[in-house]
Amino acid sequence: MVADISTGLIALASGLAIGLSAIAAAIAEKDIGVAAVGAMAEKEELFGKGLVLTVIPETIVIFGLVVAILILNLAKGG
Amino acid sequence: MLKPYDMSNIIITGPNTIQEAIIKELHELKVLHIVEHSKNELADIGKPFESAARLSEVLVKVRALIAALGIRKEEAEFELKKGLSDIASTTKKLSEELNTVLEELKKSQELILKNESVKQELEILKEINVPLEYFTAYKSLAYFTGYVKDAAALNEELSKSTKNFMMFHSGVKKRSFIVLFADAKIKEKAQSVLQKNSFSQVNFPNIANLKGTALTNLKKIEEENAKHGRKIEELNKRIWALKNEHKEFLLASEMFLSGQLEKAEAPLKFASTQSSFLVKGWVPADNLSKTIERLNKISKNKVFVHFEPAKAHDKVPVKLKNPRFAKPFEFFMDLYSMPTYNEIDPTFFVFLTFPIFFGIMLGDVGYGIASFAVFWLLKRKIKAKNFFNILMLASFVSMLFGLLFGEFFGYEFIHPVISREHDMFKLLYIVLAIGAVHVNIGLIIGFINTFKAHGFMTAIYEKASWIVLEIGVAMLALSYFKLIEVSLLVGIIFLVASILMLLKGEGIKGLMELPTIFTNILSYARLMAIGLSSVVLAVIINDSAKEFFHKGGFFILIGILILVVGHIINLMLGLLGSFLHSLRLHYVEFFSKFFHGGAKRYQPFGAKE
Repeated sequence: MVADISTGLIALASGLAIGLSAIAAAIAEKDIGVAAVGAMAEKEELFGKGLVLTVIPETIVIFGLVVAILILNLAKGG
Repeated sequence: MLKPYDMSNIIITGPNTIQEAIIKELHELKVLHIVEHSKNELADIGKPFESAARLSEVLVKVRALIAALGIRKEEAEFELKKGLSDIASTTKKLSEELNTVLEELKKSQELILKNESVKQELEILKEINVPLEYFTAYKSLAYFTGYVKDAAALNEELSKSTKNFMMFHSGVKKRSFIVLFADAKIKEKAQSVLQKNSFSQVNFPNIANLKGTALTNLKKIEEENAKHGRKIEELNKRIWALKNEHKEFLLASEMFLSGQLEKAEAPLKFASTQSSFLVKGWVPADNLSKTIERLNKISKNKVFVHFEPAKAHDKVPVKLKNPRFAKPFEFFMDLYSMPTYNEIDPTFFVFLTFPIFFGIMLGDVGYGIASFAVFWLLKRKIKAKNFFNILMLASFVSMLFGLLFGEFFGYEFIHPVISREHDMFKLLYIVLAIGAVHVNIGLIIGFINTFKAHGFMTAIYEKASWIVLEIGVAMLALSYFKLIEVSLLVGIIFLVASILMLLKGEGIKGLMELPTIFTNILSYARLMAIGLSSVVLAVIINDSAKEFFHKGGFFILIGILILVVGHIINLMLGLLGSFLHSLRLHYVEFFSKFFHGGAKRYQPFGAKE
C-alpha cells in the first residue's frame, strides 16, 4: 500500500488528538481516583459518588475522539 | 413506579408496663422505621432491658467463634432447643477447646520457624566436615568463618607465612565458603591476609549447642519439621471438624441473639419518663391500620397511637416501589443515593435505558450469549441476585443489538442493518440523538421535581431554560448551515432568553455551566466509541487467527488458542467498559439534571438487613 506523506500526517494528527487527550484524562482521573478510593475506605456508601467524580474527566477523551474523527473526515473530504 | 411507598408518621406511647410487649410485637411486625430520640429536657432516652448486657456478651463470643472458625454466613437450619444459658455454656466449652487447639498450632508453627533459621545456617556448613562443637571459644586457637573469592589463593598466601593453620572450604563458582582454624599467635596476620582476599564474615548464632556434623544435624531438623508439619495438619483437621460440627448451631445462635439484643436495646431509641415511653417513626401507609390494631390488641388498649401523613419537609425514610421487572435496578439507587421522598424515583428510567446503552456498547450476539451464560452460572454461586439479573438482562439486549449490527464474535454473520465497523458516522449521529433525548428526559424530570418542590416559575428558570438554550443553539446552527429558512436573529433571541432565565434561576453558576449541556450530549459518543473499539479488537483477533489457520498443521492449534484467549480478554474488557460507561451516563449525564437524593433507606425494626 502506497500512501503519500499527507495521509501519514493526517493519521498522525488524529492519533495525537486521541492519544494526548487520553493521557490528560488519565492524569486527571488518577488524582480523583486516589481521593475517591480513600474516601470509600472511610465510608463505603460513597462508591456511587466516587465513581461519578472519578469518571468526570473522561469527557476529555470523548472530545479527543470527536476531534480525531473530524480530522480523519477532513482527510476524506479534502 | 416513579414514586416510593406512601409513609405515615406515627407516634406510639404508653405506660412502661407494656413496653416489652409492644417492642416484641413491633419486632414481629417488621414495619416500623424508628426515628431515634435524642435526650432533651422533656424526656431522657429509655433504658435497655436487664438481659442486654449478658446478651451482647454471649453474642460477642459467638461472633468471635464464627470468625475464628472461618464460617461463612448462610441460612442455617438449626433449631435452638434451649435459650441463652444453653448457648452461653456451649459457646464457652467450644471456645476453650478451640483456644487449646489454636495454642498448640501456634507452638508448632513457632518451632518450625525457629528450626528454619537453624537450617539456613546448617545449609552453609553442609559440606564442611567439622563437628559443630568445634565452633567454640579457644585460648590458643582462633577461627574464622565466611566467604572469600578464591580459597586456593588464600591457602597459598597463608602457607607462605606459617604452617600453623587448617582450612576447610566448600566452593560455589566464584565464591568459596571457608572455615579457617589458626594459631592464636598469628591471628592478626591471618586477619590481614583474609582482608586482602575480600573476606566477608558469617556468624552462626543459632547452632551453638549442636553436636556432630552439620549434615547429621540437618537431617535431624528436617525430620523434626516434618513431625511438626504433620501435627499442624492434624490440628487443622480438628478445627475443620469443630467448624463442621458447630456451624449450624453458631449461625442459628448468632441470629437468635442479635434478634434478642435488638429488642433488648430498642428502648435506647425511645423517649422515656419515669412511668411511660414514647417512640416515633415511620410506617408504610398500607400497613398502618393493621399495625394499630395489633398494638391495641397486645396491650389491651393501653397504648396511644398518633399518626399523620408525611409533610412537605419531613425527612421520610424511603421504600422504593417498582414493578417486579424493574426491581433489580433499585441496586443502582443503593449504590448511588436514595431519592428523597418527594422526588421522582428514577429506577424505572434506568431500567429502560441501562440495558440499551449496555447493549449498544457490547452489541455482539456471541459476546451476549457468552456473558449471559457466565452471569447465569455466577448467579447460582454468588449471592447478588439483583446485580446478576441486571447483567443478564443487559446481556440479552446485547444479543438483540448484535443482530442489528450483524456481529458474532466480531464476525459479520448476517448483513447488518447498521455496521459498527463501517457506518461509524451514521452510528455517531444516532447515539448523539439518543443522548439528546436522554438528557432532555432528565431535564423534564428535573422540571417536575422542581415544580413540585419550589413552584412553576423556579422550574421554568432552572430547568426549562436549558431546553430553550438547546433550541436556540440548534436553530442557530441549522440556519447557519442554511438547513432551515429562519433568520439567525430568531436563534439569537432564544439564546439570549435562555441565558437570562438561567441567570435568574441559577445565578452566575448557571452561566459558567452553559456549555455542560452540550458536553453532556457529546458524552454519549462513547456509546459508539466503546462499541467500535470492541469490534475492531474482535476483528483483529479473528484475522490473526485466520492467518494461522491458513498455515495448517500445528498452527491451527495456535489459531484456536488466539481465538479463545483473545475473545475472553476482549469480552472482559467489553463487559467492564459497557457496564461502567452505561452506569456513568446515568449517574453523571442523566441524574445531574434532576436528582438530589440523600434520603435514608426504610429499615423497619426487626427486619434483617
